[in-house]
Amino acid sequence: MTAPASPKRRNRMALTASICVGVVVAMLALALNAAPLYAAFCKVTGYGGATQTATKAPGKVLDRTIEVRFDANVPPDTPLEFRASQLSETLRIGETGLAFFTVKNTSDKPVTAVASYNVTPHTTGIYFQKLQCFCFNDTVFQPGQTAQLPVIYFVDPEIVENRDTRSVRTITLSYTYYQKDGG
Amino acid sequence: MATSPSAHAGEHADEHGHADHRPSPYDPRRWLFSTNHKDIGTMYLIFAIIAGLVGGAMSGLLRWELAEPGLQVFNGQSVLGIVFGNEHNYNVIMSAHGLIMIFFMVMPALIGGFGNWFVPLMIGAPDMAFPRMNNISFWLLPVALSLAVLSMIVPGGSMGTGFGGGWTLYAPLSTSPQLHGGPSMDLLILSIHVAGISSILGSINFIVTIFNMRAPGMTLHRMPLFVWSILVTVWLLLLSLPVLAGAITMLLTDRNFGTNFFNAAGGGDPAMFQHLFWFFGHPEVYVLILPGFGIISQIVSTFSRKPVFGYLGMAYAMVSIGVIGFIVWAHHMYTTGMGLELEAYFVAATMIIAVPTGIKIFSWIATMWGGSIDLKVPMLWAIGFIFLFTLGGVTGVVLANSGIDTVLHDTYYVVAHFHYTMSLGATFAVFAGFYYWLPKMSGLKYSGFLGGLHFWLMFVGVNAVFFPQHFLGLQGMPRRYADYPAGFAHWNLISSYGYVITAVGVLVFLAMLLDMFVLRRRKLNAAENASPWGEGATTLEWTLSSPPPFHQFSELPVIAEEKHH
Repeated sequence: MTAPASPKRRNRMALTASICVGVVVAMLALALNAAPLYAAFCKVTGYGGATQTATKAPGKVLDRTIEVRFDANVPPDTPLEFRASQLSETLRIGETGLAFFTVKNTSDKPVTAVASYNVTPHTTGIYFQKLQCFCFNDTVFQPGQTAQLPVIYFVDPEIVENRDTRSVRTITLSYTYYQKDGG
Repeated sequence: MATSPSAHAGEHADEHGHADHRPSPYDPRRWLFSTNHKDIGTMYLIFAIIAGLVGGAMSGLLRWELAEPGLQVFNGQSVLGIVFGNEHNYNVIMSAHGLIMIFFMVMPALIGGFGNWFVPLMIGAPDMAFPRMNNISFWLLPVALSLAVLSMIVPGGSMGTGFGGGWTLYAPLSTSPQLHGGPSMDLLILSIHVAGISSILGSINFIVTIFNMRAPGMTLHRMPLFVWSILVTVWLLLLSLPVLAGAITMLLTDRNFGTNFFNAAGGGDPAMFQHLFWFFGHPEVYVLILPGFGIISQIVSTFSRKPVFGYLGMAYAMVSIGVIGFIVWAHHMYTTGMGLELEAYFVAATMIIAVPTGIKIFSWIATMWGGSIDLKVPMLWAIGFIFLFTLGGVTGVVLANSGIDTVLHDTYYVVAHFHYTMSLGATFAVFAGFYYWLPKMSGLKYSGFLGGLHFWLMFVGVNAVFFPQHFLGLQGMPRRYADYPAGFAHWNLISSYGYVITAVGVLVFLAMLLDMFVLRRRKLNAAENASPWGEGATTLEWTLSSPPPFHQFSELPVIAEEKHH
């Protein structure tokens, strides 16, 4: 049989193995915390067209206009009718806009709905600021109820400073309304 | 030979009875409770051959189905129709083919099989650092394979049994209660968990062995390139597999415990699964190919009778492929939409990998250049590998461009690309290593004729299978469908003919094994017993007898200055 390893070598082997286990645990921890990390990353960078939240309108308004188009949809078999009340709005960059969406509960039960949303092109997400939005909270719609849902937003004038976004003339704001589980 | 004590380890094996207490191969305890790196390596190789035959048979069903437009096999009426009722079953077979070939064929063969056998031998170590952990690493694999096979026959969802979402397991298809609500996907997740634990334990074992158990004088910069390749590979596994484990754990909780990690309706994001998956998945493809790089370096050097050209460059090319492999994952996701700057980054980073890969291919050719080349069977496979892998690498550079990839994404062009690198590249490396080390592992001679015939049939066959798929992809034929418009029929039929040629090649391989181990059992004669490949084979395993003693290097070899590969 092989000679037993010296205590010094055994310590070294234990150290190497411990480092390996540490690496595995660290990577596993990172992966399992991917959801908050990913959400934070999207929020900070506007990745995937994640929009931003603002508390007040920007000081300056540019002369240049930009068209904001609206899209509203629901997954198949969702008991909601959901559409944008206007196809698009053209407003000056920095100017505050107000858009409405219409939703109707077509079932005979109350429906709790939660919205997911983004803008296209994705690169403009960081400049699309919402002051107020129905999408910030879950909403309950009573059977047969029809509701007008407002969004107050503006396009940050910084958008013209970015090489990738300054040529953008049209931004599409899209909402998907999901029925919350058990609602 | 500068390795003085080990040079006569072969003779020692006879004198020292204790070095060769080889238990009977018919004693199940020898295999079930094995702590011997060579026995465990042998079990890994046999396991890989069986899994390869299963996975290969599955690809036969796929090519049979795709030979003509319409549904031949998966139509509920064919001979196999009782089992394979619809297109969903095609997708189940396709998903299982991918997972089995990756996790149960290539990885066990290259890392578990050749790694276990030859890393200790090449660095002059008596065994692996943790022999009992080595045992559990192996025995987890049959468990994982059983779970994967079981997953194919239990209810999958509304479309039938099994999971049909591809080896990438993308959410929301894999989390959809309607489409994959059955236990099939859960079993598959469990199977990958178990296979992942096996690989992580194996990786820790290799790292500890390579860092702490090298013989005196065997510095890191004198290690054979195969050992380098395994070292880089197991680091990739150690860093990437936990991420896959985390991602599929989230799939499991999304499916069963009401979490919403990847469920948009609950505020999750299915694209996050793709990021996590490919953070594992891209290093994984290098896991599949890097040990092959190491094997090819040993073989090209042996049969050119020259040291490898640019040894240090070769070693650090593998290290840099490993490092860069972690920062290119989103090139699998160009079509998810990620902004021009991010795409530009991933394009550039991906293309940079062509540099170290080019260094390797250049150095293999430079090793052969001016060498005394001996076209024995392993060398045929090695040259075949270099040819096929280079072709796969070229289409990889094409696909690295996000603009082109937007067109070719999920077409047969991609299928052709990754089969040229994986199915042909990695598998040719497996066969190259197998034919190279088989005399060493067994002490027997194989038929050079059958080995050569196997090579030529496979070489012609796989090229006939996959080269036409480039054309199909460029014409826009999408992956993962059981049927296709008649316009794609011509090249699909040729591709399926290629499968038949390949399958005959596999039969020749089995005939070669039968001839070698059962019919003729020709032993290596005394003169060539230690080193049947002659003076070109300079690594430590060729200083031992064939097969090596059950326990080796109880007296450590000393590696002198000039010898490093």
